[in-house]
Amino acid sequence: MSDALAVVALTLVGVAGTAVAWTFDPARQAVLSSVFGVLLAVLFTVLQAPDVALSQIGVGAALVPLMVVLTVRRIRRGPR
Amino acid sequence: MSGRARLVVFVLGAAGLAVAFVFALGGMPPFGGSEHPYRDLAVAAALRHVTPNVVSSVNFDQRALDTLGEETILLGSVIGAAALLRLVGHEKERPERAGGRLPDAIGLGCYLLLPVTLLIGLDVVAHGHLTPGGGFQGGVVLATGLHLLYLAGRYRSLERLRPLAWYEFGEGASATAFVGVGLAGLAAGGSFLANVLPLGSFRELLSAGTVPVLNIVVGCAVATGAVVLLAQFLEQAIRITGGAGPGSSG
Amino acid sequence: MPWVPDTAAAPLAVAVPIVAACLALVGARWAPRPLIDLLATGAAAVTAWLTGALTLAAFGGRVVTWTGGWSPRDGRSVGIVLAADPVNAGLACLASALTCCALLYSWRYVDSAAGHYHALVLLFLAGMNGFALTGDLFDMFVFFELMGATAFALTGLRVEEPNSLQGGLNFAVINSLAAYLSLIGLGLLYARTGQLGLAQIGAALGGRPADALVVVAFVLAIVGFVTKAAMAPMHFWLADAHAVAPAPVCVLMSGVMVELGVYALARVYVTVFSAAVPAAAVREAFIAFGVLTAAVGCVMCVTQRHLKRLFAYSTIAHIGLFLIGFALLTPDGFTGVAVYVAGHAGIKGALFLLAGLLLDRFQTVDEGELFGRGGRGAPCWLFLLAALALAGLPPLGPGLGKALSEDAAGAAGLPWLAAVFVLVSAVTGGAVLRAGLRVFLGLGHRLGPVERDTQTAGEERPETETALTRTPPTMLAAVVLLVLGGVAAGVAVGLVPALAAAAGRAGQTFADRAGYLGQVLYGGPPRPAPPPVAARWTGSGVLSGVVSTVLAGAVAALSLWLPRGARVRARRLRPAVDGLHRLHSGHVGDYVAWLLAGAAGLALALLALPAAAPG
Repeated sequence: MSDALAVVALTLVGVAGTAVAWTFDPARQAVLSSVFGVLLAVLFTVLQAPDVALSQIGVGAALVPLMVVLTVRRIRRGPR
Repeated sequence: MSGRARLVVFVLGAAGLAVAFVFALGGMPPFGGSEHPYRDLAVAAALRHVTPNVVSSVNFDQRALDTLGEETILLGSVIGAAALLRLVGHEKERPERAGGRLPDAIGLGCYLLLPVTLLIGLDVVAHGHLTPGGGFQGGVVLATGLHLLYLAGRYRSLERLRPLAWYEFGEGASATAFVGVGLAGLAAGGSFLANVLPLGSFRELLSAGTVPVLNIVVGCAVATGAVVLLAQFLEQAIRITGGAGPGSSG
Repeated sequence: MPWVPDTAAAPLAVAVPIVAACLALVGARWAPRPLIDLLATGAAAVTAWLTGALTLAAFGGRVVTWTGGWSPRDGRSVGIVLAADPVNAGLACLASALTCCALLYSWRYVDSAAGHYHALVLLFLAGMNGFALTGDLFDMFVFFELMGATAFALTGLRVEEPNSLQGGLNFAVINSLAAYLSLIGLGLLYARTGQLGLAQIGAALGGRPADALVVVAFVLAIVGFVTKAAMAPMHFWLADAHAVAPAPVCVLMSGVMVELGVYALARVYVTVFSAAVPAAAVREAFIAFGVLTAAVGCVMCVTQRHLKRLFAYSTIAHIGLFLIGFALLTPDGFTGVAVYVAGHAGIKGALFLLAGLLLDRFQTVDEGELFGRGGRGAPCWLFLLAALALAGLPPLGPGLGKALSEDAAGAAGLPWLAAVFVLVSAVTGGAVLRAGLRVFLGLGHRLGPVERDTQTAGEERPETETALTRTPPTMLAAVVLLVLGGVAAGVAVGLVPALAAAAGRAGQTFADRAGYLGQVLYGGPPRPAPPPVAARWTGSGVLSGVVSTVLAGAVAALSLWLPRGARVRARRLRPAVDGLHRLHSGHVGDYVAWLLAGAAGLALALLALPAAAPG
């Protein structure tokens, strides 16, 4: 049962990861990578690593995408 | 190199690595096996030091030097980001514009969530030696929780809650405190980062010796570090204009 | 050691710089700049003293410290060990001493990032010390990342110039990617052995012949290290980073950081894998990669006119030599490389600082634009002395390292490698000599105006607030200290019998895998060893040093005074050289492709070679 769950979670992570890599607009990519981060946290939980899952939610799903979005915004505004 | 040549080299390299990696996977132990030499040692060691959350025992007791290194990486990254994103040349802070109005429901939601999130963060830090979580996780929750204010459209109130000099001070102080705990171990226990505090009894808040202390120290370091880090990015994205600054092509 | 027990020195070598960095960071807000300078330089000096004492103690046997008091029972432990032997304690001492010199030089380095700069340099030092002293593979990775994070920021520190950020970014992308590959390798090893300590993994892999998993894990684990070491074809980031980094940061990167990559490769192979992955295969593979690295470095070095890039490529060429010295896999080889690294660090560090001085005075580091402007002061003679030292002139440091490595190659049955050592020393020394004669004495023909390509534009702003009119004494003192260190490595070690014997013992201890495992895992006493080959000057070594110095003079003379007709004919070689230059495009995508190709080549070579190579 838990093996099946792990397979499902792993597949979702693979699909989401591929989607992030195939997205060429950085802003969209940031949002997708946040989704990817949540799915990764699910995988870690299934694999009985709740500590890692907690950090993953904080860093992978919130902090890093936010930094990417802010960077994209700064670059798009460009020098004035 | 031309784009085509680059692609050829890349594909050859990636394919070669992939082939080697597949060869290697043939030698892997089966998934979910029961033979874990390090786990067996680590669980026993964690129980000896009265730390039910074995992961915390590994992070803050058995392999605390790794955690010191990681906290220092965070410190270095924050200082590095602050140095690289500092104002230079013709960059100026621009006067703040009133942001677009948010639906009231979102603002209200953020305000309601803020105290809850901060409480969860503190709880995760304080119980790191007992339940999943700890300084890293709680610190990130605290830092991101604070930025709910930004989501609520109140960058100015976020800035009031965020005197950056103090956060930078906190970052340095917590790294020093981590080293201080290590040196205390050296002085009292004969080895760097030795767990020299009383171990207490299982499931008590005050147990596991230095583990909760280091959890709190790391919680402070991560929370202040992440706030300073995000502040640099927010400043660049919201307040800075002009100049041959970072991110522009000069 | 007085005041501090030996076992406390290793953790303190990490702890002291971290605390000092925090103090510098916080103090910079209110304390005057000279106080911060003094604090940072003093902390580096204290660390140098601690690691120096640790090195002395390690000559009497490894100094082993289990952090947290998790000493092993029956050879098993959950903790992290710090295991100092003369080689890695010496490297930590070298890192601390270079940091001290770099910070001394920076007293006049005015920048808006002042406190941040000091904090980053000290954290960089903490990373290097931790990386060198730890005996745990995952802990190595952690400190590797600390070295990375701080070095990336230091490289890009002059943010007002777009190129500066570009150089830092290339460095960060390539090194981070290589680090991820290393982490995968660590994962494979953990899956196989369930251990993270070098000694524990080594014991678990045992004497069984390696299967594909172990070989691939070895290659992946070291990709990060050899990329940091700038082994071709993972070397591309180095010149870009050195071209833009502040001069004192170049001292640390060229002098000790890339050498730590070679050290890590050697440590991980000798301690963890040498009983499993066949020595013959590793020897052939790394001699091949070493020769390739040396060749690329030489050609790129001698065809540069941007001084900092010229020095950077000379570092790459010397890394090729260090890799060859490691690949001999003999105690003498390790001794030779260790002495070579010490001598090279002082000399190359001094050269980078001299380039920094020129940049501060003339706002350029282009050999043509500086023609004859350097003057005949102390910098001139220090520069020329450094060039001769780099060429292998006896009895200076790099020359002794070179001579010892050549002897080791001969003893290992590969005497032809001596030719590689002589050629590389002659070409890199000759290139530096040529640049020095042109810049300071105005010899030879003038160069045309520089072709402003993307590579070199905008790297020419002084690092001080205003252009200097004369050399500040603190800056010159740092240069003199570095040159003296480079000279002393050869004179003291090569001519004082006790020091020569001690240096020989360093290589012997480093190669002694069984002794390492026994002392770390079982707390055994240091094993008695046969008397080592002393690291002293020999007749053949002196001869080879003189030959390479004369050849370097010839290289310099040829490039300065080649008749016009011959110069035109020599241009026929341009297409090949231009091709190589174009590969160093500054395009990070190119570098990524080459990184993967290099890693794949190494993996496939080691998977295929054991079948082909006997023994």
